[in-house]
Amino acid sequence: MNLKRVWHIFIKDLAVGPRSPLLVFMVVMPLVMTLALNLVFGNLSSSEPKLALYVEAESAVQAELEKLPGLRLTIVSSADELRTKVEAHDFDAGLVIPTGFDADLREGRRPLLQLYFSGESYAMDRVVLVVNTLDVLRSVEGRTPPVDVELLQLEEGDPIPLSVRFIPVLVLFAFVIAGLYTPASLLVEEKERKTLVAMLTTPANLSEVVMAKGFLGVVLAFALAAVTLLINQVVIVDVPALLVAMLVSAIFWSVLGVLVGLVARTSEMLFAIVKGTGTLLMGPVIFYIFPDWPQWIARFFPTFWAIDPLWQLVANDATLADIVLPLAITLALSVLMLPFIAGLGRRVLRQMA
Amino acid sequence: MQAAIKVDSIHFAYGSQKAVNGISFEVAPGEVLGFLGPNGAGKSTTIKMLTGQLIPAQGQIHILGQAVRGHSSAVHQRMGVSFEEKNLYLQMSAVENLKFYANLFGIKKPDIDGLLEQVDLLKRKKDRVSSFSKGMRQRLMIARALINDPEVLFLDEPTDGLDPVSAQAIRNIIRARSASGTAVLLTTHDMTEADKLSDRVAFINEGVLHAVDTPENLKLKHGQRSALVRVRQNGGIEEIRVALDSGDTGEALKQAVQGREVLTVHTEEASLEDIFIKMTGRGL
Repeated sequence: MNLKRVWHIFIKDLAVGPRSPLLVFMVVMPLVMTLALNLVFGNLSSSEPKLALYVEAESAVQAELEKLPGLRLTIVSSADELRTKVEAHDFDAGLVIPTGFDADLREGRRPLLQLYFSGESYAMDRVVLVVNTLDVLRSVEGRTPPVDVELLQLEEGDPIPLSVRFIPVLVLFAFVIAGLYTPASLLVEEKERKTLVAMLTTPANLSEVVMAKGFLGVVLAFALAAVTLLINQVVIVDVPALLVAMLVSAIFWSVLGVLVGLVARTSEMLFAIVKGTGTLLMGPVIFYIFPDWPQWIARFFPTFWAIDPLWQLVANDATLADIVLPLAITLALSVLMLPFIAGLGRRVLRQMA
Repeated sequence: MQAAIKVDSIHFAYGSQKAVNGISFEVAPGEVLGFLGPNGAGKSTTIKMLTGQLIPAQGQIHILGQAVRGHSSAVHQRMGVSFEEKNLYLQMSAVENLKFYANLFGIKKPDIDGLLEQVDLLKRKKDRVSSFSKGMRQRLMIARALINDPEVLFLDEPTDGLDPVSAQAIRNIIRARSASGTAVLLTTHDMTEADKLSDRVAFINEGVLHAVDTPENLKLKHGQRSALVRVRQNGGIEEIRVALDSGDTGEALKQAVQGREVLTVHTEEASLEDIFIKMTGRGL
């Protein structure tokens, strides 16, 4: 195998890729999905209602509100601005503290306090804001609550928000598109357009062509998965472990992509294979979204082993030692595919002739 | 002199269907061999075996003295192939296509502009191939086949569908390559093309080689020459065909023109197509 030729084929594919609308679409899709899911689930799962505050004169209410966790407080410069912004749903609610409010409160004159709500705010957020506001006012008034409330979580460990549960879906999507689909579609295109035959009448052989496509798949899958994690602002404890896990996964998906690319004779056949095996490919990540399902079932999917190390690193703060087994299984699965690739390569040469 | 291409009794079958049945021929350096036959005759299968795409079931192939059985980087380094199908990268420019292939051959400083000038594509060198006409693509295919300055050149229907000017330009390139010592194997079903370009032609039909010889020899051995005499007689025009290869040609010609007003005399020679049909019993 001549690595220089592999490199030249890789560079050619890298240069031609952005000129193919289909490939551009494929690479952009995971990013668009990431942004869309972030927008939807990021906001839905957000536990921080947004409150705007306008204080006409000095008030202790502001300092008390600033102390509260789980609330995004913004001070605005006028009552009009506050109403406009709440109406536009820039905030869930807005609070105007009139002059002399604190004194009236402490002297028991029951001053009127108006809390403006956006019609689009969630009921849950309204409740949270009312309860918090009342708590703050009681504190400013100088009274203590009649009871102490203790918060007790029934599930073990930290709850994982839905936005985090979707991260494996997004990363897997990136791997499938960049790692599997890109080398597969490039190989099929070379076969369909007979450019593969042209290449094979030069000193380049099929192993070099396949290696170049696989390498491109690894690079793109790694890059796209990294971008997906960055966009999702994922915090990882063990970054080297993440890089290793991403590399191993990228290799797995790329090897699978080459295999699929050799099996499929036409683009239609490639689409049919990817669509037909979609459940098998994407199956394991469904279990991350629904933690109540029996999780052991996910292990029967071969693709589980390629995505689980990333899940463990993202959601459970795992280290490299914790993910050695799934990484080894992923690598073993990749190696197991190689004899099939060799056999399919011979079949492709026969088909071309 | 060692043959550039030496084919010795090769066989190939697709399942039970015999495609090539024991053909043998040689092509010398600098020689153009026209490989002629109708569709399904076995031309493409032979070329595929010669270019390493197929492995013969029996027989030997030697290109530039090296045995060929499937892909061989050392042999492919020295050969150029132009396919009938225009398998270029459409999203790349002419220059990018040639540069990519030069890289595959390990050529560090290819004369891409020179090649594009030869095929009259220099002005369009930066344009994407998808914007090229069929003729332009064909010319770029020829340039691609020449990128490594090959010692053996396989050309499949190189002027098929081209306008006369483009076809002539490609014929000139082939002649120039041949003159510089490149062995050229030209497959075509265009007999006129083969007649114009080939030093020798090979007739293949149903996987069997029927003849390998120069066009002149084939015409001499298998064709009939004649003279067509047009004369005015009894107020009308009459055509008299006189065979030139018979023993009494002079007497026959004399009788044809005697006492008549001769309008025209044309000599006629059998075409390669006539000879092919005569030898194989099948048209192209």
